[in-house]
This record gives sequence, C-alpha cells and structure tokens, in this order.
Amino acid sequence: MIQVENVTKKYGQRMAVDHLNFTVNRGEILGFLGPNGAGKSTTMNIITGYLSATEGSVKLDGHDILEEPQAVKKQIGYMPELPPVYIDMTVRDYLSFVCDIKGVSRSRRKESMGRSMEMLKISDVSGRLIKNLSKGYKQRVGIAQALIGTPPVLILDEPTIGLDPQQIIETRNLIRDLGREHTIILSSHILPEVQAVCSRVLIINRGKIVASDTPENLSRGMTADNRLSIRVAGAEAEALAVARRVPQVVKAESLGTREHGTVDLVIEAHKDQDVRREVFTAFAKADLPLLQMKSMDLTLEEIFLNLITEEREVS
Amino acid sequence: MLAVFRREIRAYFVSPIGFVFVGFFILIAGVFFAISNLLSGNPTFNGVLSSLTFIFLFLVPILTMRLISEETRQKTDQLLITSPLSITGIVLGKYLAAVGVFVITLLITVLFPVIMSFFSLLGLGWWEILGGYIGFLLMGCAFIAVGLFFSSLTDNQLIAAVETFAALLLIWILDFVAQSVPADPVSGLVFLALLGLCLVALVYFSTRAVGAAIVTFILAAAAIVLLFVFSRSFFTGLIAKILSWFSLVKRYGDFSLGILSLSPIVYYISFSGAFIFLTIRMIEKRRWV
Repeated sequence: MIQVENVTKKYGQRMAVDHLNFTVNRGEILGFLGPNGAGKSTTMNIITGYLSATEGSVKLDGHDILEEPQAVKKQIGYMPELPPVYIDMTVRDYLSFVCDIKGVSRSRRKESMGRSMEMLKISDVSGRLIKNLSKGYKQRVGIAQALIGTPPVLILDEPTIGLDPQQIIETRNLIRDLGREHTIILSSHILPEVQAVCSRVLIINRGKIVASDTPENLSRGMTADNRLSIRVAGAEAEALAVARRVPQVVKAESLGTREHGTVDLVIEAHKDQDVRREVFTAFAKADLPLLQMKSMDLTLEEIFLNLITEEREVS
Repeated sequence: MLAVFRREIRAYFVSPIGFVFVGFFILIAGVFFAISNLLSGNPTFNGVLSSLTFIFLFLVPILTMRLISEETRQKTDQLLITSPLSITGIVLGKYLAAVGVFVITLLITVLFPVIMSFFSLLGLGWWEILGGYIGFLLMGCAFIAVGLFFSSLTDNQLIAAVETFAALLLIWILDFVAQSVPADPVSGLVFLALLGLCLVALVYFSTRAVGAAIVTFILAAAAIVLLFVFSRSFFTGLIAKILSWFSLVKRYGDFSLGILSLSPIVYYISFSGAFIFLTIRMIEKRRWV
C-alpha cells in the first residue's frame, strides 16, 4: 500500500534519512523503532508530505505524494511528534476545523467527530479550550484529529508519549483495534510498546534500516541465552569459584547480596551457547542451591549496539 | 481556503489582537476626525484618511505578525500542510482574513462621513470619499501582504512585527529620500551597478552555483555598460525613479483627491500579489531544506 523507495533527506551535510526502502502492506501495523535522532520523525514527515525528500519517492497505492498531493493527503491521518492543536480553540471547534480542512461533508461531520472523541475518551472535555488541557489530553486530541474522516492510513509519531500508564494501555489497545480497519505506521523508542501492538518492526539508526522483522523474531534475538543472572544461597567467593569452573563460562561477576544469605551473579558464556544446564549441575554438585536463574534480556541500547556492530562486521 | 479564513477571523477575536487593532484604529481615526473636521468645520474628509496612513503603518504589524509565524512555532503548520489543502489556499485564507479585519475596521469608520452628512458638512460628496476609501483599502492590502511575507520568515511573532514595521517605514520614507538623492547620470550608474551586484548575490545564494552567478554578472554588467554608452539620459534621475517604484504611499495621492485611475490600482494589486507569491514560495521552500 505504501512504498518508500530510496528516500534520502539531507540537512546540509548531515544525512537524516539515508536511502530508505520499505513497503507497508494493507492492514499492517508497522512500528518504527530507533533512538532519538534516528530519522523516524523525518521519515514520517516525508511520507505525509510535510517535508520533501532530497532523493527518492513515496507512493501510496501507486500515487506519488509530490505529484498528486491532494489525492494522497486525503488518505492519510497524521499525528506528528507534537500534537498540532490550536490552543485558542475548544476541542469541538478544533475537530470541526479539522473536518473542514479534510473536506469531511457536513452530513458525516457529526458522526466522524463523535467517533474520534469517543475512541480517545475526550468527549468530556469537548467544550474546553485546548490551552487548558493537560499534556495527556492534548496528546489524545492530537490522535483524535488524525482519525477525523477515517483515512485508510494512519501515521502516528510516538502516540503514547506524555500519557499516564493507564492511558498508555488504553491507547495501545485502541491502536490495535484501529489496525483492523487502518494501515498504521507508528514510531516509538520504547521496545515493549512496539512489541505489544505491531505486526512488523523496522529498527532505524542514523537514517538507515538496521533490522526489519516481526516482533517475535526480533525478541528471540533479543534475549541472549549466553548471559544468565542467578541467585545462589551461599557465600560470594565460593559461588564465583563454582561458576568459573564451568568450562563454557568466560566471565562471572558478583552483583552483591540482595537477599540475606545469598549472592547474585551474572554469568557470561561464549556466544550462542546455552549454559543453563551446566550451571545448574555445577551448583547442585557444589551443594549451593540455585534460587533463581534467568536469561538476561538485552536492553534496547544493547540491541542497537549489537545490530550496529554486526552491520560493521558484515560490511 | 474558507476553513482557514474562518479560523483566522475567529482567532483575531478570541485573542485581544483583533480588538486592539480595530479599537486603536478607530480611536485614532476618531481623534483625527474630531480635530480636522468637526472642530475646525473642514468639509473634506479624505484628509483624515491620508493622515491615518502613517498610523496604519504601526498597526499592520499587529495584524499580520502571528499569521504564519505562530503556526510554525506551535507546529500546527504540520496539520495544515499535511491536509488536502494547497499551500496557496492556506496562504490566501490567512491573507484574506487579515484583509477582512481591516475591511471591518474601515467600514466602521464610514460612520464619520455619515455623521458629517447629517450636518451637511460634506464637501465634494460621497464619490470623492469612496475614491479615498478604495485607495486606502488597496494600500492597506499591499501593507498586509508585506506583513504576511515577513511572518513567514520566522517563528517569532515579535521579530515578524519588527521586520514588517521596518520594511513599511522604509517604504514610507522612500518618497522623502527620492527627492534628495543625486540625479546626475554617474550616480545613477553606480546605483544600478550596486543593484546588479545584489542580483548576482541573490542568484548565487539561491542556487549555490558559481557558474550561474558569473553568467548573471557578465549579462548584468554588459547591459549596464551598453545602456550607459547608448542612452546616457536613461541614467538621469534614475535613483529617484527606481525608488519610486516601491513607493506605496505616493500612489495614494490620486485616490484621496477622488481620482480613480487604473495604474495605481494595478500597481497595488500586483504589489500584493507579488508578496503573497513570495510567501507561498517561502513555505514551499521550507520543505526542501
């Protein structure tokens, strides 16, 4: 449905987006994941026609955004990084204005506004000036604005930023529901969020795609079996000695005592080696009961580092 | 376009800006009216409009400063530009809204000549006054177009206002400057050469191509030298001539006498059109950098 071909954006000498290529299929929820400044917002701004790419093209159902802007823009609801709200208007007036500029017919206006307000639970503030709303409410008004006119494509730039935990969960559910009728691109720098709602994830760093996969596959790569965190009932020195005796283990470090009479260790084995069984047997033989053992999840930063270093090795 | 127009008109009157503009304009107009017509028993009303042009210079920046700069600052331009509206439509809607507020204000001041007619104070009659109003409206539209343009250059309302004010003031003093600049051919040549250099600089900074700049330089230099050799009289009084192209105020003179001629009307409309076009280009250009 959306084809992004060779899109490049340069700000002076700096490459913000570097020859990006991807397609989004109808009904898909695509997540953009990347650190700050990775080029997520710039890419979204290019897809929606707010910025023009230095090179490359964006097509929606075969229509180029630059050549047929009116037709393409009608198909897209966009929620930018900062909610584009007029603070001197009430929520209802603002949404009515959005209906106007998006060309929603008078007969469908009430229904369209009602649906957006209900979905984001902002009906109770519809008469208030946006200026006086909290950040979370402004954010939701921003999302409601993107839903006006039920465009087939929704592009949401960090939709849950500024919301409280309860609202974050609600918004994620909402996005998942919307995914049944809309094609959605959303960006985030929070890994679990993307995992929770997206059917496919693009990881972007420095304007380049470093990984593109389903969240399941990515998270499989994300838990590293070769790093374990364990809690042992016993003395620190003894536990470390036992751990280091396991042949595959390259590194064992103590994290100190968190529970009385125990010690926490981090054990690292060679890459791609599952040492859980060996560790278990070793400690059992030494008569040091293992109270806890789990694979250490990689943080987003570590995944980036991994992906980027892998990229360098390949090239 | 209509949606943007309606929103802008509303925005003027939910904030104090619209009221400040309308109120202050009418206050000053009323003071001038009282002094020059009522108290002195003078029957020509158009003198009031002429004196108002200078006050209007201060008021235009208030009217235009937030038009586009505020959208940029609040990032609401993202909503407008990614909507199906064309940039031309957005800019025209905003321009017409500012013009609309100005028209409302002018309509209120029509009360003054009406008051005069009650006392049979009206001199040459309504047609002369109508001419004065048409002229004032057209000149106001040109001022507002300048303000609109400066509002698209920055995301700071205050900077937009100051720039607009400086530009309008410069246009205002052009008439006085034009009277006292040297009129001999050599100074005309120097002035034209400087303008040519500005053109070259403009070409260089907008294309960053050294070749294009050199070609422009050669062409401009050749044209100026040829002109100087073959038609020296062209350069006599040239500076004043060029400066008067930008004189918005001088062209108002005929209107206030009740003379409706085509050339100043065309001048004002094309002046406004040029600045609206520049504004649209500025916004388009922002997407490419």
